[in-house]
Amino acid sequence: MRTVLLASLRVHVRRYLAAAIAVVAGVAFVVAVGVLTSGARSGLMDGFGAPYRDADHVVSGLGAGAAIALAERLGPNASPIGRAMLPMRSGGRLFPDTAVGPVAVAQEMRWQKLVSGSFPAREGEAVVDTWVARSREIAVGDRILVGEGAAAADLRVVGVVESPSTSAQASVYVSWAQLVRWRDEPTLSLNRVAVRGEVGALPAGARVQPPEEFVTEKQAELNNRVDALSAMLLLFAGVALVVSVLVIANTFSILFAQRSRDFALLRCVGATRRQVVGAVLREAAVVGVLASLAGVLAGIGAGYGLLALINALAPAITMGSAAVPVPWLLGGFATGLVVTVVAAWSPARRVVRVSPLAALRPEAAAGGHAAAGPARLVLAVLLLAVGPALLGVAMAQDDTAFLVAGGATVFAGVLLFGPVLVPYLVRAAGGWLGPTGRLATANAVRNPRRTATTTASLLVGVTVTSAALTGMATTRAALDEARDRRHPVDASLTSPRNQVTDGLVDRVRRTPGVEQALPVYGVTALVTGLDGPIPVVAAPDAGLVARDGGAFAQVGPGEIRIDYAAFRKDLGLRPGDQVTVRAGERVIVLRVVGGTGWGRVGVVSSETLATLTGLARRVPSRPGAPTGGIETQALWIRAQAAADPMRLVDALDDLADPAGLQVDNGLQARETEEQQLRVLTWSVLGLIAIAVVIALAGIANTLGLSVLERAREHALLRALGLTRGRLRRMLAAEALLLSAVAALLGTVIGVGFAWAGHETFVTRALAGATLRVPWPSLGAVVVIAALAGLLAAVLPARRAARVTPAAGLTLD
Amino acid sequence: MMRAAQDALAAGARNLTKTYGRGETEVHALRGVDLDLPRGGFTAIMGPSGSGKSTLMHCLAGLDQASDGTVTVAGIDLGSLDDDALTVFRRDHIGFVFQAFNLLPMLTALQNIVLPLELGGRRVDDAARERAHLLAETLGVADRLGHRPAELSGGQQQRIAIARALVTEPDLLFADEPTGNLDSTSSAEVLGHLRRSVSELGQTVVMVTHERDAAAYADDVITLQDGRIA
Repeated sequence: MRTVLLASLRVHVRRYLAAAIAVVAGVAFVVAVGVLTSGARSGLMDGFGAPYRDADHVVSGLGAGAAIALAERLGPNASPIGRAMLPMRSGGRLFPDTAVGPVAVAQEMRWQKLVSGSFPAREGEAVVDTWVARSREIAVGDRILVGEGAAAADLRVVGVVESPSTSAQASVYVSWAQLVRWRDEPTLSLNRVAVRGEVGALPAGARVQPPEEFVTEKQAELNNRVDALSAMLLLFAGVALVVSVLVIANTFSILFAQRSRDFALLRCVGATRRQVVGAVLREAAVVGVLASLAGVLAGIGAGYGLLALINALAPAITMGSAAVPVPWLLGGFATGLVVTVVAAWSPARRVVRVSPLAALRPEAAAGGHAAAGPARLVLAVLLLAVGPALLGVAMAQDDTAFLVAGGATVFAGVLLFGPVLVPYLVRAAGGWLGPTGRLATANAVRNPRRTATTTASLLVGVTVTSAALTGMATTRAALDEARDRRHPVDASLTSPRNQVTDGLVDRVRRTPGVEQALPVYGVTALVTGLDGPIPVVAAPDAGLVARDGGAFAQVGPGEIRIDYAAFRKDLGLRPGDQVTVRAGERVIVLRVVGGTGWGRVGVVSSETLATLTGLARRVPSRPGAPTGGIETQALWIRAQAAADPMRLVDALDDLADPAGLQVDNGLQARETEEQQLRVLTWSVLGLIAIAVVIALAGIANTLGLSVLERAREHALLRALGLTRGRLRRMLAAEALLLSAVAALLGTVIGVGFAWAGHETFVTRALAGATLRVPWPSLGAVVVIAALAGLLAAVLPARRAARVTPAAGLTLD
Repeated sequence: MMRAAQDALAAGARNLTKTYGRGETEVHALRGVDLDLPRGGFTAIMGPSGSGKSTLMHCLAGLDQASDGTVTVAGIDLGSLDDDALTVFRRDHIGFVFQAFNLLPMLTALQNIVLPLELGGRRVDDAARERAHLLAETLGVADRLGHRPAELSGGQQQRIAIARALVTEPDLLFADEPTGNLDSTSSAEVLGHLRRSVSELGQTVVMVTHERDAAAYADDVITLQDGRIA
């Protein structure tokens, strides 16, 4: 049989191409995940212990305040670890959320490695991480402005350092004395302190550990996090592998069906059934070995390439040099091989079931397959009945395990039901097409099982894609809503001392990126619990600029709403407190309610403001001449959707500073969140895309093999008067029908899954989240999948159309 | 005079030459064949395997381009047509019955019969369906029209193929070994139908065969030997 095996491999090797591509992609995915995992692990672990190297104890579980107290008590024997996220301006550019960390007081405890220059010796000096220095073009001697408003510090860069420990890493390091100037920044976190000598008394909740123990414990936590990440990536690899199995199985069953006469001939000349199956499986194994090897190499290449890319593009995410992850390589290789052989198993058994003589009869090849056996149908119906029930339980009990089980059951049911369902859908869709389209439809459904398997691979990809898109759209909508509540006003200009002049209002309105600016009227008042006077305003028209529709400014009578984020730690007030508000001679008592996102003003109702000013009339809401002590106290701004937040905030700063006004904004936080969501969305889509590409290779392959199989029919059609162009169109229509049906079905199932998932765990995590179906994106997915199907038909169709009718008719 | 001669001819070939391959592997399938096929005649082309009879038919039917010489069908020089024009010409002027693989397996017998009309962009109206039924009735397969080819016997399949070839009323009907896969009873039926389409409908039929019995149904017999008319 070896001669037969080798000869047949030689002859058929090109036809295995798609199966091989599927295996290569699946294996490469697994191996690349392995390399990335290993890189992330070493990146996180290498130098993790550096900050604790010379310490005797590590104190953890401290708040920033307690850590500062401890550091001040121990002086040079303490090295606090942590960072504040502050805006940084450098070289005319603004970098929001820049990590600023401390340099230890004692030289021996400094864990950063000096690359050039010196460590900061006093306030007003800073060193910059080498990656940050490179990407933001900062050099020793430059000046950087860190922080905002009163807390802003003009710093001179005195050195560049390497930060070996990712857990303690920051972009900019300053002296301890400089860092504690930001002790009131809400973003300052200092949760660990490395200590030399005795620690002394600590607040409750703090933990003291030897450095080795602390490092081991933290590394174990990091390991778990990396493992969780690679498990998630493997989930996507799993989807790709499932698609691969479908593609491989389909390729083998078509190839074997075409070669059934060869097999029959072998049987006739004396090969046993076992020998034939054995030869076929060995053939599959050879394909599996070669493709898996290629996959391992491709995976290593992709993995290391991505590591280099991440290091180059995002220096903050340090990926270490990955050791070649041998277990992953072996695992990937074995997976590829097993997947190939298993996928070949059932088609191989099917071909030898036919008796040799039956297979040799000339017309036998044309015989169609039954759509689905009764056993298959019964099982499919069973699964389709049980699956939704499981999903129902999942939604009722918020149980993720049931959700996964239910989803898998439903999907298995759909796949088994495919040979009935898919041809039905294809026929329904093809009914709209002309005569060429009708031929294409008939071709597409002639072998229901093949049709179903071909579409199944794309179905898997599209289902996962649309479920992910819907899930993310829903999560995003919920996040947006929460964010709009948190930051109702994009930016605000306020000051307790200076009023907003009409000229400034005009200038702000003319600033590029400003969509709407609303002057807010009120009085300056003293509020108990707050250090200085604050503007107290009423804003019945807040809806004009507010992202939450102005709900934040709807304040009940007898209430004052305070922006907790804007006042930060100046605020000793709690919601529900009774405060006296004094404006000139008038004093009233109001109840505090909280909120965030409109700046340093207290918001009250128009009636309250009227009481406070002693004016009977309501507060003017339009620009005009306010009277009776009522002045324009603040300017609330809504940015245009396309506005660059950094540039806008800079422009507003330039306007506000000379006027003595303070700018508060939610734009940068919004932009950061937005960016994270975008990155997440594209990463997920990119990971799924691999499965979709495999599926399309599968469609192209099936079509290519079908074209070979139908060479004589095409010749007959050409003889009867089908032009070359229409033959190509017929094949294109067939591919289009298959991919469009798969895409539509996948979208429906995917949205269904997303709904089930939403009901099961999103509603629990995000209260008030409603399912958002991103119709435009889903439509784009369907269109792209259909077009890709069309693309998959290009090569087979060209090949089919090239054959002259005479040549096609005289084929064996 | 010329005109009359042309009208009397369904097809003709002058110095028809077909060569496959090049150099060492060059094969001369046809070496300068001259041929006239009279309208309304039943011509059999005979010859042993490899004599070039199938190639001759393919060239006459516009399924293959000649290497040299001219082929004229219904007054049109096939060499002057590009692939699409040739395809349309076949659709409108020529009918085919092959030895095997005559029918598309995914279509029913009736769909197979009206396929050339559909491909021609003609609406398959009641008149067309009527004609298909009439042909099927004449050919004795009217009760099999809803079946797919796999459910038909070899003889029934060939008769459906004849019905399909006749449905467009072609100038020329080519039959390539139409009885090659059939038993003697079915063969006789199929050949009888071809004969009747000539005598009763005035069709022009060209049949390639290597069976003497089959050739006996024809008016004329042309014998090929090594790519030449013997």
